[in-house]
Amino acid sequence: MAAAKTRTSTFSRNLSTAPPSHGPGLKCGPNGTVFLSSGIPDLDKILGGGFPLGSLVMVMEDAEAPHHMLLLRNFMAQGLVLGQHLLYSSPARDPRGFLGTLPSPAASKDDKSRERDPDQEKGLRIAWQYKKYFGENQLDGQRDGKHEYSNEFDLRKPLERHFINGPRIDCVSIQDSDLSTLRDRCATFLSQFPRNDGSISCAGRIAIQSFCAPQCAYSNMEWDMLSFIRSLKSMVRSSNSVAIVTFPPSLLSPSFCKRWQHMADTLLSVKAIQDEDKELAQLLTGYQDMVGFLNVHKVARINTQVPVILEATTFSIKLQKRRYLVLECLNQAPVDGSSGTSYGTSGGCSSSSKTGNLDF
Amino acid sequence: MNQRSSNLLDEALGLDQVIEPWPLRGRVVAIEDQVETSGSFVLHHLLKRSLSPNSSNVTIFIAFSQPFSHYDRILRKLGCNLVSQRDNSRFFFFDMLKLQCPDGDEGITPEGGLIALYGKIHKTISALPEISWKNVSIIIDDLSLMEVAANGSSDYVLDFLHYCRTLTSEFDCSLITLNHEDIYSSEDRPTFFIQMEYLADILIKAEPLATGLATDVHGQLTVSNKGRNKVSNFHFKVKENVVECFYPGRS
Amino acid sequence: MAESIYRALRDGALEGELAPALTIKDSVASPFALQVFSHVISQLFSSILAGKSQSRGLVVVSFSRSPSFYLDLLKNKGTDVASSNKQIQILDCYSDPLGWKDQLAGSRNFTALSNEAMVSSNAIVFREVKHMDKLYNSIIELGKGLVGGGKIRFSIAIDSADEMLRHAPVSSVARLLSNLRSHDQISSIFWLLHSDLHEARVTAVLEYLSSIVASLEPSHQLANGQRGDLENFSLIKHNSKKGKFHVRFKKRNGRVRVMSEEVHIEQSGINFASLPSEGAINQGLVPKVQFSLQLSEKERIDKANVVLPFEHQGNGKPIQIYDGRRSLVDSKHERPVSAVENVQTNENCGSGEIIYYRDSDDEMPDSDEDPDDDLDI
Repeated sequence: MAAAKTRTSTFSRNLSTAPPSHGPGLKCGPNGTVFLSSGIPDLDKILGGGFPLGSLVMVMEDAEAPHHMLLLRNFMAQGLVLGQHLLYSSPARDPRGFLGTLPSPAASKDDKSRERDPDQEKGLRIAWQYKKYFGENQLDGQRDGKHEYSNEFDLRKPLERHFINGPRIDCVSIQDSDLSTLRDRCATFLSQFPRNDGSISCAGRIAIQSFCAPQCAYSNMEWDMLSFIRSLKSMVRSSNSVAIVTFPPSLLSPSFCKRWQHMADTLLSVKAIQDEDKELAQLLTGYQDMVGFLNVHKVARINTQVPVILEATTFSIKLQKRRYLVLECLNQAPVDGSSGTSYGTSGGCSSSSKTGNLDF
Repeated sequence: MNQRSSNLLDEALGLDQVIEPWPLRGRVVAIEDQVETSGSFVLHHLLKRSLSPNSSNVTIFIAFSQPFSHYDRILRKLGCNLVSQRDNSRFFFFDMLKLQCPDGDEGITPEGGLIALYGKIHKTISALPEISWKNVSIIIDDLSLMEVAANGSSDYVLDFLHYCRTLTSEFDCSLITLNHEDIYSSEDRPTFFIQMEYLADILIKAEPLATGLATDVHGQLTVSNKGRNKVSNFHFKVKENVVECFYPGRS
Repeated sequence: MAESIYRALRDGALEGELAPALTIKDSVASPFALQVFSHVISQLFSSILAGKSQSRGLVVVSFSRSPSFYLDLLKNKGTDVASSNKQIQILDCYSDPLGWKDQLAGSRNFTALSNEAMVSSNAIVFREVKHMDKLYNSIIELGKGLVGGGKIRFSIAIDSADEMLRHAPVSSVARLLSNLRSHDQISSIFWLLHSDLHEARVTAVLEYLSSIVASLEPSHQLANGQRGDLENFSLIKHNSKKGKFHVRFKKRNGRVRVMSEEVHIEQSGINFASLPSEGAINQGLVPKVQFSLQLSEKERIDKANVVLPFEHQGNGKPIQIYDGRRSLVDSKHERPVSAVENVQTNENCGSGEIIYYRDSDDEMPDSDEDPDDDLDI
C-alpha cells in the first residue's frame, strides 16, 4: 500500500490508459519506461513496478549469506518462465549447473486462492500454468485479455527442464575468461534486443553473479572491472534488457566500492541476520521467519530527475512456508495484528505474520 | 510561483538578476554529490537556465552518464525542448557513453581519447559566431566516469580539464562539472578531487540531511561562490518541473 | 608584517648567496594562496617599476592562470602594462602546456584563435611542461631578455608548483628551483603551493628549498566527519572570509622568526590584520588547567549569536520582554520530566541557544514567579 505512493510525479503517465503493446512480462512505467519483473512480486511493488528496461541493477552481497542468490534465482526464473532470453555468468566452473536450482512458479498471481486455501494441492494448477507457456504463450496471453507479468515462485520446486534447456540461455564462466570476452558475449547477447521506438516484443536479462569474486583472474584489476561495468551499462541502456550484477563489496577498496554504487541505476544490498539473537527477536516481530534483510539504496531514475523516496528502505526477507520469498517492512514489537503487511499480500492482509504468530 | 521557488539556487549562483550576459561566463562550476543524494538536478537546472528563451546561450553537453533521450525527457518536463535547441545550434550533445581511451601513454594521441574530444569542443565553439563565444557553457556529466574512460588516469582527465579551462579564459565560456564526493572521501589524499575544488569558482555540494531522506526534503545544497565571496546553504526538493529550494524549517 | 616578506623579496640576494625564496602554501579549507601570491606580485612589481628593488624585472611562470589574469591584475593596480614589457614577461604554461593545440593544429583545421596575440608583447607560450630543463632555459632566457646580461638581477614568480609537480617528478622540480635560486642573476623567487595536493614529503621538499614559508590556515578548524550540519556551515562561512597567515623566516643568523597575522578576504583584494592577542601565545608553553577559562573560537561565535530575552531584535517587531511566565508555558508543551531543558530564546533557529543542565531534580523548573517581584520601582 505504501509502495503505491512512491512515484508522485506531476507527469507520471496514467498507467491504465497507456497502450500496452508489449510482449509478455513487460509493463509500462512512468516517464516512458517499461518494467520487467524482478521475479519477486514484493520487490516489484517496492520499486514502483519492477526493473526498468535499460537499467543496471547492482546488488551488494553479504559475505556471510547467499541471499543475493535468492534475488538472482527469482530474477532468472521469471525471465525463463516468460520466454525471455537470459545470459548468466558466474565465477563457477560450470555456471549452467546453477540453472538446476531455479525455482518454479507457484500459482498465477491473480489467482487469489493461495491466500484463501494455502494448503490446497497445487499440482493441477501448475500443470495448467505450464500449458500456457508451451510455445505460443504470447497468443495465450493475448487471448486472456491480460498480460502475464510476474509470478510467485516456489523455492522448493525446481523449474521444469524444458525451460532450462532452451536455446535462449547463454552461460559464461567468468573464472577464466577475461573481461573483453565477457564484454563481447554481453554485446552479442544484447544485440538481439535493440532499442527502437515502437512495441517491444522481447526483452533480455543479464545476470552476473559475484562479479569481483577473488577467483576471477581480473579481480585485482579495479579499473578494468569498472570499465566493464560502465560499458555494460551503456550497452544495456541502448537495449531492451536489464542487467543484474551482484558483488561482494568488502573485496573492493572503499573508493571503488563507491564508484560501483554510483554506476548502479538500482542499488540493493542484502544482509545476513544473526541466528538466535535474543535482542533482535524481541525487537522485531516475525524474527523467526526472517532469513535476512534487503536494503534499497537507490531506485532507478531513468528519464526523470525526481528521486524515489521510499517510506522504508530496509525490508526483512522471509521464506513464507519455506517456499515463497516475501519482503516485509520491519516492524518493531510490540505490534498489533494488522501491521506487518507484506507487500505481496496487500489484499489478503498479512497472512504471513498471522500464520507466523499461530505457529508459536 | 515556480520562478520564486528556485530563487535561492539562482541567487547563490548569481543567476537571479540577469541572464544575459550569462553570469557564469569565464567561471568554473563544480557540483559534488553522493550516492544518497544525486546532484544531477543542478546540471539540469543550469542547462535549463542557459537554454532559456530570453538568452542566447549555447551549451555543449558532454555525456558520459546518460543517453540523449534521458536528458531530453527531463528537460522537456522542465519546459525546454532539447531537440529543437539542437536544431537551432544552441545545444550540442556529445554522446561519450562508449568512449574508451586506448590504454597506456601511447594512447594519448591527438587522434583519440580526450585530446580529440577537446579538439571537438574547440572546433564547435570556434565555428560559432564570435558574439556567442562568451555565452557558451560546457557541461560534463560526470568526471568520475571520465576517469573510467581514461582507464583511471586522473592526470589525463586533469590535463583535459585544464584545456577546457583555457577555453574559459580564451572564449570567456563557462565550464560546469559533476563529480561524486563520496568516491574520494575514503582516499588519503584525493588529489583529483581537491584539484577540482581549487579550479572551481563556484562549488555546489549536494548532501543528504543528517536525519536521512524524507519525501518533503530531498537534501541540502551548499553553494560557495568564491568570486562573490559568499556561502549559502539551503534545503531542496526535486520535482519534475522545478527544483524547490528553501531555508531549513520553511518547507 | 606581510610587509617584511615583501621587503625580503625586494632586497633580494646577497652576492654569492642563494636568492631568497618564498613558498606560499594553502589548503582547500583556506584557499587564498593565490590572493596572497597576487598581492606579493603587485607589491614587488610596483617597487621594480619605482626602481626601489634589487631586481629590475619580473618573470611570471603562469601555470594555473592565464597571462591576462596577471596583466589585468597589474593594470588594476594602476601600472601601464603595455609599456612595461621591459619589466615584466610572462612564460605562458597555461594556454597549451602539453602542446595539444599544436598537435591538433597539425592534424586538422584547428584554428588556435586566442587572445595570445593581444598579450604577445608580454607573454610567450611554453608547450613542453614535462621538460624541466627546457623550462629552466626558457625562464633564464626570458629574464635575460628583460634585464640583459651582466650583473643585473630579476625576480621569478611561479604559479603554481603543483602543476609542475603533476607533470614532472619531485626531484626534477627541486632541481629546477634550486638551480634558479643559485643563478647569479636571480634576485628573488616565490611560488604557490596547494599543500593538500601532495604528500607531506613533497611539501617538505619545497619548504626545505625556501627561505620563507608563508602558510594559510583556516581560522576555524572543521571537525571531520560531522559534515553537513549547520554548525559546520557557520564555520565554513567564517573561513570563506578570513584565515590565519603564518610566516616562518629562516634568518641568516640561524634563527627562525615566526609571525602570525589574519588575512581578510574581500572582493577588492586581501587585507592583513594583526591576530587577536591570545593567538600569539605559544600554546605549548602555557600550563594546562583542569577547567577551561577561555572560550574557543566556535564557542565565542555561538555565544555572540545568542539573543538574550531582554534584547530586542530592532527589526520593527514589537519589543518582546521576558515576563518570566512564557518559558513555563512553553515547557509545558515539551516534556516536563526531562532533566535537560532547552530554552529557545528566539525563533530564528541557527542563531544560538542556551542549553542548560539542571544540577539536580530538586531544583525546580522555571517557576512562574516574577523574578523581579522584589524590585521596588
